[in-house]
Amino acid sequence: MQPFSYTRARTAEDAVRAVAGGGQGARFIAGGTTLYDLMKLNVETPDRVIDISRLKDLDRIETGGRGELVFGALARMSDVAAHPQIVAEYPAISESLWRAASQQLRNMATLGGNLLQRTRCAYFRGGEPFACNKRKPGSGCAAQGGIDRGHALLGGSDACIAVYPGDMAIALVAFDARIDVLGPDGARTIAVEELHREPGATPNVETTLRPGELILRIRVPRTAIGRASTYHKIRDRESYAFALASAAVALDMDGETVRQARIAIGGLATRPWRARAAEQFLAGKTLTPRTTREAGDTALEGAKPGHNNAFRIELGARTVADALMIARQRA
Amino acid sequence: MIDMPFPDTIRVDAHDKVRGRPIYGADDVRPGLLHAALAVSTIAKGRITGIDTAAAKAVHGVRLVLTHEMMGATKSAGFLMGGGYGFQSLQPMLSPAIAYRGQPIALVAADTLEQAIEAAHLVKASYAEEPFSVTLDAPGVEVVNQADTPLKNFIPEIAAGDADKAFAESPVKIEAVYNCPPQHQNPIELIATVAEWRGGRLTIREGTQNAEAVRHGVATALGIAPDQVEVISPFVGGGFGQKNSLQMQTVLAAVAARETGRPVKLVVPRAGVFHDASFRPASRHRIRLGADRSGRMAAAIHEIDAQTSRHDLFPGEYAATSSRLYGFANFRGVERLVRTDVQTPGYMRAPFEHPACFAMECCVDELAYAAGQDPVALRLANDTDTDAATGLPFSSRHVAECLRRGAELFGWAKRPMAPQSMRGADGSEIGWGVAIGAYPGLATATIARLKVSEDGGALISIGGHEMGQGIRTALGNAISRKLGIPVEKVTAVIGDTRAAPQHLTAGSWGTASAVPAAEDAADAMLKALAELSPGGVANRAPADILKAAGRSSLEVEVQRKAPGQSDAIFGRLRAGLPSIAGPVFDSHVTFSYIAHFVEVVIEPGTRRIRVPRVVSVADCGRVMSPRTAASQVRGGVVWGIGAALREASEVDPRYGGFLNADLAEYVLPVNADIGSIDVAFIDKPDTVFNRSGVKGLGEVSMTGVAPALANAVFHATGRRLRDLPIRIEHLL
Amino acid sequence: MSVWNMNNEPEISRRSLLEGTGAVAAVTVLGADIGEAGGEEAEHVTVTLTVNGHTRSVAIDPRTSLLDLLRDRLALTGAKKGCDHGQCGACTVHLDGRRVVSCLTPAVQTDGRAVTTIEGLAGPGGELHPMQQAFIDHDALQCGYCTPGQIMAAVACVQEGHANSPEQIREYMSGNICRCGAYVGIVAAIQDAAARMRRT
Repeated sequence: MQPFSYTRARTAEDAVRAVAGGGQGARFIAGGTTLYDLMKLNVETPDRVIDISRLKDLDRIETGGRGELVFGALARMSDVAAHPQIVAEYPAISESLWRAASQQLRNMATLGGNLLQRTRCAYFRGGEPFACNKRKPGSGCAAQGGIDRGHALLGGSDACIAVYPGDMAIALVAFDARIDVLGPDGARTIAVEELHREPGATPNVETTLRPGELILRIRVPRTAIGRASTYHKIRDRESYAFALASAAVALDMDGETVRQARIAIGGLATRPWRARAAEQFLAGKTLTPRTTREAGDTALEGAKPGHNNAFRIELGARTVADALMIARQRA
Repeated sequence: MIDMPFPDTIRVDAHDKVRGRPIYGADDVRPGLLHAALAVSTIAKGRITGIDTAAAKAVHGVRLVLTHEMMGATKSAGFLMGGGYGFQSLQPMLSPAIAYRGQPIALVAADTLEQAIEAAHLVKASYAEEPFSVTLDAPGVEVVNQADTPLKNFIPEIAAGDADKAFAESPVKIEAVYNCPPQHQNPIELIATVAEWRGGRLTIREGTQNAEAVRHGVATALGIAPDQVEVISPFVGGGFGQKNSLQMQTVLAAVAARETGRPVKLVVPRAGVFHDASFRPASRHRIRLGADRSGRMAAAIHEIDAQTSRHDLFPGEYAATSSRLYGFANFRGVERLVRTDVQTPGYMRAPFEHPACFAMECCVDELAYAAGQDPVALRLANDTDTDAATGLPFSSRHVAECLRRGAELFGWAKRPMAPQSMRGADGSEIGWGVAIGAYPGLATATIARLKVSEDGGALISIGGHEMGQGIRTALGNAISRKLGIPVEKVTAVIGDTRAAPQHLTAGSWGTASAVPAAEDAADAMLKALAELSPGGVANRAPADILKAAGRSSLEVEVQRKAPGQSDAIFGRLRAGLPSIAGPVFDSHVTFSYIAHFVEVVIEPGTRRIRVPRVVSVADCGRVMSPRTAASQVRGGVVWGIGAALREASEVDPRYGGFLNADLAEYVLPVNADIGSIDVAFIDKPDTVFNRSGVKGLGEVSMTGVAPALANAVFHATGRRLRDLPIRIEHLL
Repeated sequence: MSVWNMNNEPEISRRSLLEGTGAVAAVTVLGADIGEAGGEEAEHVTVTLTVNGHTRSVAIDPRTSLLDLLRDRLALTGAKKGCDHGQCGACTVHLDGRRVVSCLTPAVQTDGRAVTTIEGLAGPGGELHPMQQAFIDHDALQCGYCTPGQIMAAVACVQEGHANSPEQIREYMSGNICRCGAYVGIVAAIQDAAARMRRT
């Protein structure tokens, strides 16, 4: 690990100033489960680390508001996962959290950090000698032509097919969540769906955050649709693994007919992937093995297989279909 | 006494382990300790043309940057299977040659670990690259017929009758190819060494299964006398074969400690463990099985292609076990080795026996269906008590009893034969599978010293290493029963070259070697006590006899050979060389056996494979320690589930080395993957094999799990999957 | 539960010298004198934390993990290094009463906080915690290397209320890999200890 200077920020404003003034080499650290991990691999090499983990009041979980739930960016994954109101009213959010990582890591990782979790692509994490445009712009993409069993089928480019690895963001985009950010030029609010970029020609630029911007809060609009929701996650083992395919699904039912569906898929794309065409397909339909499967196929439309990952198109469609039936039980 | 089962005593070291006592090599913390880190090759083959250490040396706290140019007279300690001591013949950093990606090119020692790691990353090498091959079928590999190499002198080809003719004449023929991927042992304890020099003497602290080879190996490498080296390894945080010999980091840490004059701790990071130590080689198995219409097997031909390195021939011994599963009157085994550009592969729990049993036992299941026979009935019909390859009887073989008891415990009688005939309420496909496993009965020469004291305690100094298998508990039980001393008053000093010669503990021979020697020592002690006590020793505690005789303690030493060994074996033992006998002895052949029954449940949609229950019945001779033995079998079953469903070391042929070199991407089973595992033992002593009646257990417990699981998947789905691991993509 | 509600931020101090180094003379390497270790010393910070009830103040390199601090500086080697990347759980300790992986916890972030390790789990007279006893009783271990992490995770698993069924225990203990495969015993031990912990 490269040496760095460590500063503990007292306020969000101080933190933003410190990172914005610190140039390319300055980074925020909260739970550390992504940044510190990648620093150990020399993939992240900040020379200045600003500790935001003790900023006041950013760990709150506010569920009393009429229009929205508000999670402080420093709320821990485990706390939000276990919050009784979230378990009851937004099971997809709770499940997306407790089905991620391990309880130890969920006790450490913050929601804001989790949103910005970086890819698990082995060629990215492995450092030299692997080509990786995300880690070293212009060096190429070793995953293409390599072992791509876990790589993205949607949203990739010639420059990068690394999967966005997070789970919670998948549930958040299904619920139209937004984030408050604070930057050197002030505060703004953006949709979680607008936070992550597809790699295009610049896979090293992963989000639409501007230099020095800090996530303060996550806002989830209140909606009754949350109760009939699930986050279904298929992995290489039963727990403590990243998704081969996942789906956050929520249903608003009118008897046997779908009034409205929300579908977002994870583990399959370069960013959290809202499947609006699949949602529209389901509107007005009853849920049958045929319609849920067709919704799954629609969600995976445009998927581009590589060498080893084509099975995840089928798996993704089935994951969506199964998730719909689980959500249906909760409607 | 031999007929009396041993009591269910607690694991004797459990108390220390639950308190986190500092018992492992890297737990050693001492004043002045330097921390070391390695820089490794980023190319897969070639030569270092230049190495720039200036930036590394400039890091504050760095005391030493060691490269191949500074290793002086250090030499390789040779390959364990070639008369030497190392896991491979190649000791990194002795020349600019690079044989595989991940090979160490420099060591940095610094005041702190952070400094050492930072500096190691700053070592920059330039290379001249050469073409390389890392998979069995890559262009550029070299295929060697093992029978054409000197290996044939100690690993005979297995042949019985005329297998090709009998196969050709068989009315029922099965021919299939099975593939097993490379895998890594991944004990959770990293390979690590703390090396310290004091007055010309070197002390090595590390987790090893072979303290004597580490001692003699490091002495050979450094050109010093073995009596200048002591190796202390009281506990191993999991070995599974990876820690069975001198590791490359031991020599590097010892040199660094010598050059800096300070103790050096070198803990190899997890990614390094994938490249700087051994692994289970990829293997391909072509099986031809011929039988009559009732399923009575007449012929088996097992041809194996197994991976080795360019620089060593890691011998294949697959057919030695597949040939002993049934009464094959006609058998032919062919072992081929495929030279690839990797570190030398090696022993990983049931190294040959797991892949061999996977291939043969899946093929036998295919035969059962071709012959329309129940898979248990077919296996019972092909049982034998004679080894066809040698014509010798098995010293003990309770395969039929394992199968019958397992079938009963599992409820096998309710199993419909047809695939896809069992469903869960949610539409899941349910399958039940069976397979047997086998592992050679091996034993080593052993030297033991036993001391009893007036305080009522006994201390046994003996060759052996505690890797979690419970050898301390087995020794405690044996001595306790013989001398009438409570188990908790028996201390075993093992894994310590200062105590007794420390032969490699592997191959499931640990208990079968140490316990008979301990019992010999106990008999010698009883005899010595009798000489002290004219009134007899019956019902008298050793401490009472000592007190009556005015002695504070009494010590005896015994040495024990395995059957057929000459006294010359003790020279090999003291020299840290393998001193193993078996499984073929003058009058008999010895194998341990097991039968596994596995239930799988396969989700209807996303096709996840669950394993809610396993029943395993083992024939390991006398069970010395029921509690630790049951844990061993459960562990073996977990290993089998991992091997069958999850574990594979991924190789990108463009880069060499292993790609998924961490514990997130190399998928080990977690708690949520494991359901119920019921274990039973036949517990019949094999006193032909040794006086204690003990056969091996640690490895046989894993053999047969993967085929039982694959056979269950067939029963659930109707699909024969012949490549491991079996994953979601194979069932969608 | 909020775990960063400190009102008085301790000042981060710098130190010119790391404990325990600096006393070493120049060494000679096969003829090449590398002299005193070179380079500029990395910035150091002093952290004050409570470990198993004792307050400890240590000057550290900000890169140091809590795991390396415990093992190398405080000689508390019960927490183990198995992966150093949060992928095995062998380094699990409690931080302000919650289980974390100490390998991914920068030690500098533990300033002012309380750490409990396996060494601090037994009672003052050395009497075992019910979870330690249950691990012995159910032989929930083999080589013992992952065991301290398993036990620390298991105690937290019960305290969190995640030990209500074997399925729940398996899920919430999946962050601790046991390569020996002692999972069946671990689940049994936690069920047993959970009952005893609830009684006390």
